[in-house]
This record gives sequence, C-alpha cells and structure tokens, in this order.
Amino acid sequence: MTDIPNSTVSSETLTPFSSQSALSRPEHFPYSDGHLHKPPLARDEMRDIISLSLWAGQMLLQYGADSARVEEIVHRLVTGLGCDWADIEVQPNSLVATTVNNQDFRTRVRRAPSRGVNMTVIAEVSDLSYRVYRGEVDRIGVRQELRRIDDLAPQYDRAVVIMTVGISCAAFCRLFGGDAAAMLVTWAASSAAMFVRQELHHHHVNPLLMITLTAFVAGIFASLAWIFPISQTPGLAIAASVLLLVPGVPLINSAEDLLRGHIVTGMARGFYGLLVSLAIALGLALSIWVTRGKGF
Amino acid sequence: MELSTLLSHVLQEMFWGMTATIGFAILFNVPRRALLTCLLLAAVGRGTRALCMETGGVSIVPATLVAATIIGFLSRAYALRLQMPSTIFGITAAIPLVPGKFAFETMLGVLQVASLPADTVSALLVTTAVNGVKTGLILGALAVGIVAPSLIFHREKPVV
Repeated sequence: MTDIPNSTVSSETLTPFSSQSALSRPEHFPYSDGHLHKPPLARDEMRDIISLSLWAGQMLLQYGADSARVEEIVHRLVTGLGCDWADIEVQPNSLVATTVNNQDFRTRVRRAPSRGVNMTVIAEVSDLSYRVYRGEVDRIGVRQELRRIDDLAPQYDRAVVIMTVGISCAAFCRLFGGDAAAMLVTWAASSAAMFVRQELHHHHVNPLLMITLTAFVAGIFASLAWIFPISQTPGLAIAASVLLLVPGVPLINSAEDLLRGHIVTGMARGFYGLLVSLAIALGLALSIWVTRGKGF
Repeated sequence: MELSTLLSHVLQEMFWGMTATIGFAILFNVPRRALLTCLLLAAVGRGTRALCMETGGVSIVPATLVAATIIGFLSRAYALRLQMPSTIFGITAAIPLVPGKFAFETMLGVLQVASLPADTVSALLVTTAVNGVKTGLILGALAVGIVAPSLIFHREKPVV
C-alpha cells in the first residue's frame, strides 16, 4: 500500500460526496482535502480494525506500558491494517480511538483497568504491531495472535516466583548492609508475603487492601529477627522484606508520561504509586504494633 | 580508597544488585530471552552508582542520575538489538536503584512522629524530612535517567 497518486482519476470523482459507492472508488483516491488515501474500507472492516487495535491497546495499558507506547503501537496497528489515520486518547483506566479511512471514521471507547505488570504481553503485542506494519499479518491473523497473547500462561511457575522474590529481597537486605541472619529472615518473610499476595490476587481482593495485608504478613515474619536476637540488623530485615511491593513500575511510568506530555495519566500513575506506598506503611505499622505493642 | 577495596566493593554491589533484580524480572514476567540482559543492565547500574559515589565523591542523587541514564541508553541499544520494547530492560534494571531503605525510614519516621509527644520530636522530624527528600530526589533522578533517551531522540512533529 504505497501512496502513489493515481493520475487516471477524472475530475468528476474528486468530490467526496460523489454518488459512487465507497468500494467502487479507485485506489488512493485524491479528495478535495488534497490528501491521498488508502483504499476505501467497508464499515465492517473498519469495525474489525478498531476493535482489534483497541484490544491490543487495552492489554498494553493493563499490563504496564507507558501512554506514549500505547499510542504508538495502537497507531501502528490501525494504519498497518489499512486505515489512513488514528487519533488515540489514553486515559488512566480506559482508552478512546478514532480511526479514519478516506472521509469515513469510527470511534470506540475501551476500558482497561490496571492488572499488574506483564512484560511478555507488552513484548508480544509490540512485536505483532511491527509484523502488521510490514504486512506479514492480516486482520484474521491479528485476531488469532491477540487471542493467543491474551491466553498466554505466565512464563514462570508460582513456586519459582515465590523463591526468586525471596532471594531478591534478601539481596536487598545485603545491599542495605544486613548480616546473614537478617538475609535469611528477609528471604523467609518476603517469600511468605509473596505467597499471600498470590493467594489474595487469585481471589480478586482490592489491590490496596492486598498490599496492606501482604506488608503486614512480611512485617510479622521479619519481626522474628527482632523477637529472637539472631541478627545485629533486625530493622533492615523488615525494610527489605516489604520491597516486593514497591510500586516501581507505576512510578517510573508516571515520570515517563509526565515528561512526555501525558500529564493526566502521569499524575494518576504517580498518585497510585503514592497510595501503594501508604498501604505498605499501614501494613507495616500494623505488624509493628502487633509484635511490639507500640508504633502508632 | 585503595584500588582493591574499591574493586571488591563495586563488584559486590554489582553482584547483589543483579541478584536483587532476578525476582522482580520474574515477577514482571519478563520474556526468557530478555532475562540475562535485564540482569546485566541492573549490575551495570548498581556498579556505576557505587563507582560514582566512591571515586567521584558525589552524593547518591547525582550518582543515581548517571547510573539511570546509562541504563536508559543501554536499554535502547538492547531494545534495537533484541527487537523488544525498551521498557522491559529499563524498568527491570532500575529496580535495584530504588531507594527502599530511605522510603522505609521515612515511613517509620512519620508513624513515630504521630505517636510521640510534641516537644520531643524535633530531631526525629528533621531525620524523617531528610529521608523523605532523599527518597523523592532519588526516585526523580531514577525516572529522569531512564526516560532520558526518549526525551532526546523522540522528536515527533505534533500531529494536529
């Protein structure tokens, strides 16, 4: 689909309000607006394009892509599938797109509440958009691919996640200057907390409540280093064991959005990061209060 | 500082920074073929920060900015090479630079300030405020550093 001017178009057909049906128009029809357009699409083709592109955008937004990336990939999909243009509006919990083909357009809203972070989905959808752009995948293929990506199981086993998150928090404890006993306690505490988090996530508990409860569990377990004097650095075990909850992705995405002009989504993500931090503080305060009878 | 001590310090920082990233990369469901690159960038970031702080004599905030900028540019390079979005490498590798300890101490300080009698908290209030400012500045430096390449390279004309 190259934008080559079609010189055989007669002057009568130059008006967009001609009585000809959309499908019988020549390719790259030059309108009175002076632009060249891609071949006209039927209404149902445009419906498919917008719903598929928004499905992709919804997955990106839900699994932690920044707003500019969502816009870019949805735009690439819409134009790659045959539309001339797309205007995309990314909101904190939804996205709106209008696709344009010749003088025709379709608009749709799609909700996309956050569902955590999944880098594999982002990588797959991004890759799919490039394949569509190169003309390797058509609309039918895009639907199949998006279905496959949506149904992808997590790459790593639950137990592997629990173990490695524990190891990571223990490494953080070491970086903070904790001793071996504190690292061991951190490993146990954050592994237990990760298990609790997975269970709560599975039952669709409110995210902020989930974070408070997880931080509480981590704090209770990490307080073992305080109750039994096995470590010289018991405070560091508590500090490191809640790090699995740190809202790193919302905060970095927030900065990226703010710096690139997506102020609304940037503020929403930043505020969510702040709320998560407060939820961690609440959970920890509860655990300190339970184990030591003070703190509030 | 002696060269051997410096070297062992930086290497230790790199090793533990890398270890601290593994769990988060797996939690974020990073594709398997991107895993090693994420760990490498995390080690580079943590090593750069340690090196800046030990030899350059700069504080943790500018050191974080330098480290995060290097991570940002490297994640761009690896994104082109592995044909993957740069977010994967940037965000994952930034994790060991997140100021977890300062954030924790701020949190705890705020809670203690709320519970102590008013005439005894001034010193605690100052420590808490300092920790809070450090947390905010480190996070800001981290984010700006990671985003730096897209600020510099990405110059689309406005579409409307």
